Amino acid sequence: MTSLDAHRVVDAVWKMESARIVAGLVRMVGDVGLAEELAQDAVLAALEQWPEAGVPDNPGAWLMAVAKRRAVDHLRREERLDRGQEQLAHDLATRPDDGERDVDDVVNALDGEVGDDVLRLMFVSCHPVLSTEARVALTLRLIGGLRTDEIARAFLVSESAVAQRIVRAKRALADAHVPFEVPSGPDRAARLSSVLEVIYLVFNEGYSATAGDDLMRPSLCLEALRLGRVLAELAPDEAEVHGLVALMELQQSRSAARTGPSGEPVVLHEQNRGRWDPLLIRRGFAALLRARQAGGPLGPYVLQAAIAACHAGAATPEETDWPQIAALYEALVRVLPTPVAQLNRAVALAMAYGPRAGLTLVDTLNGEPALKGYHLLPAVRGDLLARLGRHDEARTEFERAASLTRNSAERAVLLRRAATCARTAEEARKAEEAGTVEEARKTKDGQEAREGRENPKAQTARDPREALDEAAEAPDQVADTGTAGTAGEARDEAEEARAARDEAGAAGTAGAAVTLGRAMTLFLTRPGLSADTMRSYRQTLTRLCRHLGEDVPLRDVTSHRIAEVFAAAWGTAAGATWNRHRGALRSFAAWAAGHGWAAADLAAPLDRRPEPRGRTRPIDRARLESLWERPDLPLRERALWLLLYESAAPAEWALSLNVEDLDLPGMRGEVKARGHWLRWQSGTAALLPLLVGDRRRGPLFLADRRPGPGRMPAAADLCPHTGRGRLSYERAEYLFKRATAELDSEGGGYTLHRLRHSRLAHLGEDGWSAPMLMSLSGHASARTLHGFVRVPRPADTVA
Amino acid sequence: MRFLMTTKGGSRTPDAAMMAEMGAFIEEMTRTGALLATGGLEPGGLRMISSGGEITVTDGPFTEAKEAIVGFALIEARSREEAVELARRFWKIAGDGEGWVQRVFGPEDAPGPGPR
Repeated sequence: MTSLDAHRVVDAVWKMESARIVAGLVRMVGDVGLAEELAQDAVLAALEQWPEAGVPDNPGAWLMAVAKRRAVDHLRREERLDRGQEQLAHDLATRPDDGERDVDDVVNALDGEVGDDVLRLMFVSCHPVLSTEARVALTLRLIGGLRTDEIARAFLVSESAVAQRIVRAKRALADAHVPFEVPSGPDRAARLSSVLEVIYLVFNEGYSATAGDDLMRPSLCLEALRLGRVLAELAPDEAEVHGLVALMELQQSRSAARTGPSGEPVVLHEQNRGRWDPLLIRRGFAALLRARQAGGPLGPYVLQAAIAACHAGAATPEETDWPQIAALYEALVRVLPTPVAQLNRAVALAMAYGPRAGLTLVDTLNGEPALKGYHLLPAVRGDLLARLGRHDEARTEFERAASLTRNSAERAVLLRRAATCARTAEEARKAEEAGTVEEARKTKDGQEAREGRENPKAQTARDPREALDEAAEAPDQVADTGTAGTAGEARDEAEEARAARDEAGAAGTAGAAVTLGRAMTLFLTRPGLSADTMRSYRQTLTRLCRHLGEDVPLRDVTSHRIAEVFAAAWGTAAGATWNRHRGALRSFAAWAAGHGWAAADLAAPLDRRPEPRGRTRPIDRARLESLWERPDLPLRERALWLLLYESAAPAEWALSLNVEDLDLPGMRGEVKARGHWLRWQSGTAALLPLLVGDRRRGPLFLADRRPGPGRMPAAADLCPHTGRGRLSYERAEYLFKRATAELDSEGGGYTLHRLRHSRLAHLGEDGWSAPMLMSLSGHASARTLHGFVRVPRPADTVA
Repeated sequence: MRFLMTTKGGSRTPDAAMMAEMGAFIEEMTRTGALLATGGLEPGGLRMISSGGEITVTDGPFTEAKEAIVGFALIEARSREEAVELARRFWKIAGDGEGWVQRVFGPEDAPGPGPR
């Protein structure tokens, strides 16, 4: 053991393991309070024994074993042991204490699904019978493993208050006989949103920490992030969970930039974006993508995360995509119609389309009771009025805002702006009196004309942004904001709000009779749809048109008929394929319903299908050897397959290689679009010069024939020497499947994907480490890799 | 707080069982959000020396290959003890070898009245 203090080691281990230990105990004894007591006994035992005996090999299992022994003792006293627990009691009693591995085995065997227990515990800790404060305290205590004093310091309350809160919460759970389960059915959504709310509350509490606060406070952000990430793994199909994680990752990415040298807050558009944490931004985008993959309607967390992503994706404040943010807010206020969200939307509208657009919305909020006394409402309104040249009214608003804020620095800024407005108004009056009425009007008209122009990038007035940012930075509010290109589809759907307006005209008032074919065309030609998304959507919709007829009026199409087409077309396809088409249809259905063209939710009967994270079984080496040795193999195929095998790179990358990107002596080629070098070995190196021949530029792997006139590919995909196009993935896949059909015991032939992963599996067998494999193959996460490099069973290698 | 764990070269080559165990460990670290980034490093690499405005780039051969860092993991932990505990689990799986655990300073470590 190192010189580290044993108490601190036990505390660290406890924090890492507490959720699992307590959750497992609750399942055994059925009571949160008792479970926690038993767990605390185990911690005490550790404090007694570890300093002398050293930290055990598997400290979590050690704690668990001790706690379970106590649990068994307790149950025995109460004469409540059931048969499984009798067995555990027996096993624990007959194994020696020091045989840690054995204890692990016993505990693990009885543990079952530990993750599910943790999820149950989260739902119980956030149960609606508890007050919000109690939910927060209990969650931090049980799932986060925080001590009472740490929670007290984080929330600026006394330790005894927190202890009281926790005791009462445990009693309330017991009194209400809250079952230890993950809720299902209609209850689930509400219960889940309670869990999300608690986590986000913890995050906001940390976010509102100021300089000089106890360090426990800002670390609440990290604690909330950790809770969110754990939850995302336990409930991966819930889009909102990923949305919340994305939102927190993106907000946290700005933590270094959001306070100035003396601890003063720095608003979003003045932050040094170079200090935003790119790692967290990447994680935020990844979480947002997972939210999209989970599907379902866009909920408040996903939308807020998309808005935050918009900001994260803008390298400078001027590049912020305000129309996009305004569209996202429009979607947000539909699911979360709070006045604060509306106010933020107004600011975004003003940034995107000029102050008049924002002011119209702000004026509707004036009577909102929830915004009474909220200084940002008059501040925003004053700013918009000033930009419209209505300085007298603006001054009144700024003065009102100044009287409402409690922050003195902010008050000073608002009063300064009020004074500026007063001065400007006075000058305008003087100019008028002096007879230069004409000129004054010209100035004013010019200004309005400028502002009326629909050019969001030209809007340089910065104050509404400031207001937005302040609203965004304030805790307990909805408000932060976004989506960059990387967040792909989230953007597509959010575009719909905007596109819907544009298209209302296109279809005219005869909307009721819109045909399926016409709707499809309109849907696919919306602005902002990426080429990939469009291609994918088109596939789905074309199939529908073929079965149902292009001329059928959309309102006559029933979800039942669509379900029939889906069953016939993709009923037996892989889960991922089914889900892709389902996603396209859902997007289309939501869009059509938004226009009032389709009656019900057309996608309603189609259930999402599980997508097993399939383990790709490797092709064994002997079979690949026999493939390489085949004499009749064309040069192109041999080179491509060897390249894929030797580089373990995705086939798309290999096919995207150009002759000019090759470094033949270096045995590598650059995948330009990815900025990644693909490396091969001697087998490929011997073949490539032959394959390249005299060519100097263009695609490395060429199609067999020249393209027909109707399907001319882009110039970059054409060989300047031969006029042939780039070899497509589909064709390459087909060729490989055909050639390997006789090797494959299932007869269908192998996929290129499997070839790539065979290499990874073989390298894994040869002792390459996961990080080495990741850097070779371009796998972004060891998690995706893990499925491929599992220990091969002897049967697999011999087969 | 963040910590950088690095491993030096020269440890034993992993076998399939260790690969699997390490894979599970990495998965677990990812699940709890502790693992932010990890990767293997090319042995050697390029050495850069900046001296008196003069910048030299050397690409080997280097004699002290065993001293070179060949792998890293950037982790988020709540305390130094937690980082050490994670590193300890790593070495339990990796076997003999040598490496470092170093705190990565963040905005909270800057001098002055507040984060800078």
